[in-house]
Amino acid sequence: MDKMQPISQALYSLLFLGCMGAGFPLYVQGQNVDELPPDSIYNIGYARGSLKNISGSVEQITEKQMNRELITNPLEAIQGRVPGLTILKSNNGMAALESVRLRGTTSLTSGNDPLIIVDGVLGDLTMLTSVYPTDIESFTILKDASETAQYGSRGASGVINIVTKKGRAGKTRVNYNGSFGVSHAYRRLDMLSGAEYRKLAAERGWSILDKGYDTDFQKAIEQTGLQQNHNIAFYGGGEASNYRVSLGFQNREGVIQNEGMKLFTANMNMSQKMLDGLIDCELGLFGSMKRDRTLFDLQKTFYSAAAFNPTFPDFPDPETGSWDQITTASQITNPLAWMDVDNREETSYFSSHARLTFNLLKDLKMVLFGSYTYSTTENAQFLPTTVWANGQAYRGNRKSEALLGNLMLTYQKQLGAHFLDVLALGEVEKNRFHGFYTTTTNFSSNELGYHSLQGGALRPWEGTGSYYEEPHLVSFLGRVNYTYDDRYVLTVNLRTDASSKFGRNHKWGVFPSVSAAWNITREKFMRRFHLIDNLKLRLGYGLAGNQGGIDSYTTMALVRPNGVTPVGNSPLVTYESLKNVNPDLKWEVKSTFNAGVDMGFYGNRLLLSVNYYLSKTRDMLYQYDVSVPPFAYNKLLANLGSMRNSGTELSIGITPLRTKDMELNINANVTFQRNKLLSLSGMYEGEYISAAQYTALAGLNGAGLHGGYNNIVYQIVGQPLGVFYLPHCEGLVSDGNGGYTYKIADLNGGGVNLEEGEDRYVAGQATPKTLLGSNISFRYKRFDVSLQINGAFGHKIYNGTALSYMNMNSLPDYNVLAEAPARNIHDLTATDYWLENGNYVNFDYLTVGWNVPIKKQRFLHGARLALTINNLGTISGYSGLTPLINSTLVDDTFGVDDKRTYPLSRTYMISLGLNF
Amino acid sequence: MKRIYSILFASFFLLSWTSCSSYLEENPKDRLDEETAYSTLSDVQKNGVLSLYNYVGGYVDSQGLQGTGRGIYDLNTFTTDEAIMPTRGGDWYDGGFWQGLYLHRWGVNNEAIYATWEYLYRTVILCNGSLERIQDFAEKHPKENVADCVAEVRALRAMFYYYIMDLFGSVPLIEKSNPEVEDIIQEKRSKVFNFIVKELTESSSLLSKERSNQPGVYYGRMTQSVVWFLLAKLALNAEVYTDDDWTDGSRPDGKSIFFEVDGQRLNAWQTVNYYCEKITAAGYTLEKDYTANFAVFNESSEENIFVIPMSKTLYTNQFIYLFRSRHYNHAKAYGLSGENGSSATKEVLETFGYDTPQVDARFDYCYFAGPVKDLGGNQILLDDGVTPLVYEPWNVALDVSGKPYEKTAGARMKKYEVDKTGLKDGKLLDNDIVLYRYADVLLMQSEAKVRNGEDGDAELNLVRSRVGMAPRTATLENLLDERMMELAWEGWRRQDMIRFGVFTRSYSCRPQLPGEENGYTTVFPIPEKVIDMNPQLHQHKGY
Repeated sequence: MDKMQPISQALYSLLFLGCMGAGFPLYVQGQNVDELPPDSIYNIGYARGSLKNISGSVEQITEKQMNRELITNPLEAIQGRVPGLTILKSNNGMAALESVRLRGTTSLTSGNDPLIIVDGVLGDLTMLTSVYPTDIESFTILKDASETAQYGSRGASGVINIVTKKGRAGKTRVNYNGSFGVSHAYRRLDMLSGAEYRKLAAERGWSILDKGYDTDFQKAIEQTGLQQNHNIAFYGGGEASNYRVSLGFQNREGVIQNEGMKLFTANMNMSQKMLDGLIDCELGLFGSMKRDRTLFDLQKTFYSAAAFNPTFPDFPDPETGSWDQITTASQITNPLAWMDVDNREETSYFSSHARLTFNLLKDLKMVLFGSYTYSTTENAQFLPTTVWANGQAYRGNRKSEALLGNLMLTYQKQLGAHFLDVLALGEVEKNRFHGFYTTTTNFSSNELGYHSLQGGALRPWEGTGSYYEEPHLVSFLGRVNYTYDDRYVLTVNLRTDASSKFGRNHKWGVFPSVSAAWNITREKFMRRFHLIDNLKLRLGYGLAGNQGGIDSYTTMALVRPNGVTPVGNSPLVTYESLKNVNPDLKWEVKSTFNAGVDMGFYGNRLLLSVNYYLSKTRDMLYQYDVSVPPFAYNKLLANLGSMRNSGTELSIGITPLRTKDMELNINANVTFQRNKLLSLSGMYEGEYISAAQYTALAGLNGAGLHGGYNNIVYQIVGQPLGVFYLPHCEGLVSDGNGGYTYKIADLNGGGVNLEEGEDRYVAGQATPKTLLGSNISFRYKRFDVSLQINGAFGHKIYNGTALSYMNMNSLPDYNVLAEAPARNIHDLTATDYWLENGNYVNFDYLTVGWNVPIKKQRFLHGARLALTINNLGTISGYSGLTPLINSTLVDDTFGVDDKRTYPLSRTYMISLGLNF
Repeated sequence: MKRIYSILFASFFLLSWTSCSSYLEENPKDRLDEETAYSTLSDVQKNGVLSLYNYVGGYVDSQGLQGTGRGIYDLNTFTTDEAIMPTRGGDWYDGGFWQGLYLHRWGVNNEAIYATWEYLYRTVILCNGSLERIQDFAEKHPKENVADCVAEVRALRAMFYYYIMDLFGSVPLIEKSNPEVEDIIQEKRSKVFNFIVKELTESSSLLSKERSNQPGVYYGRMTQSVVWFLLAKLALNAEVYTDDDWTDGSRPDGKSIFFEVDGQRLNAWQTVNYYCEKITAAGYTLEKDYTANFAVFNESSEENIFVIPMSKTLYTNQFIYLFRSRHYNHAKAYGLSGENGSSATKEVLETFGYDTPQVDARFDYCYFAGPVKDLGGNQILLDDGVTPLVYEPWNVALDVSGKPYEKTAGARMKKYEVDKTGLKDGKLLDNDIVLYRYADVLLMQSEAKVRNGEDGDAELNLVRSRVGMAPRTATLENLLDERMMELAWEGWRRQDMIRFGVFTRSYSCRPQLPGEENGYTTVFPIPEKVIDMNPQLHQHKGY
């Protein structure tokens, strides 16, 4: 078992924060943890129940607790509010999320994002953009397997269940929420200016190409981004029916030229009671249309902007109209030419669902649910001849459909002190993914771009493709929840799933779970302790399956076109198997143990919740690195290996001050998380096979960094997923010419060798060991202030940006940092010299709100004005631009800051809410 | 109550259709199952045989026999005294990769070596898969004649094994598409060598007599003359290839290594001569113009034997060697792009007699040196529009960073005619990549004769006179020099240096590694990752 983080460190973090927060005024946003009525109805997966019947780790966040301002994606509304939840936003602050993790990364496949459910419709992160944040009534988060087991195959990485607002009986109401904002970049890398560059070249006797200007290209590609959001909702209803309709529009401009996003959303739902209350019918529709224009290649853009010759002008050659280039700096291009690249994505999303609830008997209900989801994404890209030899246009279309149906029977019975809740469910799901893309090159004009694919003379063979997949799932679930005297709770779930993606004899998986809770406050002996309002102990254990992110057809021996081969004078397409086949593919299984305690003191003015979890993922699905031979290809999708995750989540809510006019709330949650890759070997077709000892995950790119010993973050058995595995630098040594190089330690004797397994060591991990989310709010009469603070500790960041931009050897072709000449390092060897502590505390945003006093009148019921500033500041020892890089998603940027970071930017936003 | 039951019944009926097991079967629409892909003899030829030729060339690093970077060609070229990739400031350091190759400090975890190993064995296993599927087809269709197909795949597989054995020495010999881990054991180098010779010899009679380098049904394919060329190469290097311990300082003698050739028992040198004669008899001859072999339209060459067919519009194979050698402004002057990298070594300059009145004519065919002109005959200038671009061959070194000649040191690759319409920065072009050609046949023949104690002058001077150079006596020393000049940057240098016993010696900018005198660097290490995953494999001596 991993060593637990000493508790003192958590307290230290809290104290530290307390001090930090002291500088800021503390007010309220009207959000109280304790205002949650203890008997509110929770959505616990398919089941619904009240808090007292819950035995697993279930968290519900209602509108009052959500972040309200500056939200583009719904999940941002709960960022920092849920222990163990990490959200990685896409770099440019656009709507899409890169990744979401509940309790860390537990699988090596891409099935690590939690299951997203909106009003019963199952989906993934992309579905979130189709929901306008203010349409959400509540989030329910299921983290441990005792309840995620309800979703069996889908729930291994946790479940986030979103319920949208519904109409209410009564008068028709109208809500409007709108906001305007401005964002701008305020800090960028401090590179040599044109004058400094010129002076240095003269000093050192370099012949440079001096065009006579002094351009900060980092600034030249920026823009002031305007933002606006509007949402209008109508709702109402009567005894037997109600409805709610909402329309939303978001328009965001990024801080880099041409970046922008437009999003239209529509959400409609209605419910109707029929046949004397025998049937409740609910219908829902939601849809969205999103248009993004983003940077084609972050690294190329920001690398070019930072390193391009600063004596070049910020306007094109007046004679030719094209951008001046430097041929000797082959890895970068005039950054303003990059701004001519047109890279767009258009996503349409449509989802409809219906739920029929048959109230068969007083205690027996049958629910029939069906949903259909359709989404299509079109990508269009044009790389003009100024940045891409001969120009290139690309268009692609991906379609995805999901049809889901389930039938559920529930039986709830209260007999004296005994309460029984039984659920049985059968579910089928059919998905279809298909799409195509095509590329044309050799453009004679840059004017029409991807709107005229015919403008390209050539269509390279490998530039065109299409695909089709149709995976199916079948599931059955049984669940029993028993409560005695509201004191003892026992829940048992049994789910079985079958997936078409797995081998003939491995399609079915069984995922049971059990959990129990003890409401100690309900015991007689607790009556003496008046200060304790709530004390509940929970224990749970369960299994969950995972098949996320794996391809179809891995179990079948199939061939695909592998190229064009000449026969005679005619080209011929031939077919060959293009990957290793694994007929025994089966479910990945994660088992989780969870223990928790929930406490409330002083009239629930002090709330405390502690959860400990330990999970182990077995038969881990992954594209393992396998040996050639015996395999033909070096990747095999197989069930090998195991991984362990453990952690403690602590959340505290304090209301130290509460009067009629004033209220102070402090909420904080701290997560200590540990991860260890236990094994990457196992049995395959009766043979023991083992993946490679070292697998590089992320490395460096750019001039002089192609291949060689430039891998930084590795996956190593026995270590946390994603560790820095680097040579050790003992310091700088003179290179004999007045400059310095990195002195590399000979760790294992026998001379310095930078290879894996030689003079390298594990120098830290990329994932934070401790996460912090905190919100401080204060209300005074009609004013409120809320400050959101997030932090992460215990991880490191590789500053590859500094490694490249400190290397004086790259001058004069590539510009360097302003402090590089003083340091005079002439070396590009990746060592731990640039491995830095990643700890940070980030002041995410500050909101000041005013609930406008409105005299009782006929139409307007309420109004609120608020001002929000985000990215107030970051406290960190990290020397790069920002420590907020990818420390979550295991991909080729994991833990490495390598010339692709956005300038730091801030958004100021004024928002208005009106209730009619 | 009745109503309730009927609802229940109807609902469960709805669900029950899913219980039929076919719902959980996959029905791919974007790919074929193997049976369908091998249903007729024509399918067998297409997907069993021709499909494998997609792996002869490539467009990704380490894939293909030539044309791409960090693969077989680079391992055979940038490890030698023929070519060097100088570190040029911010460019071409690449984590020490190129310096590592040149200094023979490539390491046991070198990613390029690992990727090359994977490429070669993948191709071998795909060949094995083809042979098994052809066999299945033959069993189901006893009337169809698959013998030609089998012979062609066997010959192709033998060729890939030849590269594996040449690079890695003693290696696993795998003849199944789905071998067990326990079958992955290293065979002696001589056993692998004998297997390759046997496979080539047995299959050659069933192969086509057509030319492989010229468009037609057999364009780019294994034909008889390609196999003869390989057999001559194998025999020429037999002393090296049959030496099971290449670190013990002794080697078998070619005169006492015997081959069964068309019913005769010949020693290694006689075998080389025999196959070279067969190639000559098949009509191959030297082109009058050396450069015609490397022209944009070199398909009509009478000299080329085996090529990677290139077409910028039809095929994906790339040729990056010109692209990565030319200076940026040099490439730009052709309307292409360059990476300003690979250069000729000082040994090349000395051997060709560069800067002397006796300079070999082929220097100008193969390399750019000094000032360069664009295709219109105009001087090529640097970005400032004033300074002419001048390559400085003698300033070549392992690291020229910070030197005034950082960007211009070194003579650059010229060899292939510029395809002005080249795509992808000039990496997609129409010049077929020359793998095997007849000039090499003559030089092999000359060398074999000399090694067998005979006179090889005639063959050597046939090659020299074609480029107008004065005759020389065929000695081993002259032959090694001649091979550097005639076959400049064609991917043979490492093999030649090993055969002549000079690979492990020091040369310009390269001291001999400690312990290298025993010859351990004449084979590359088995990639450590492969050994990790195959417990029965062991690392070669010295690594």
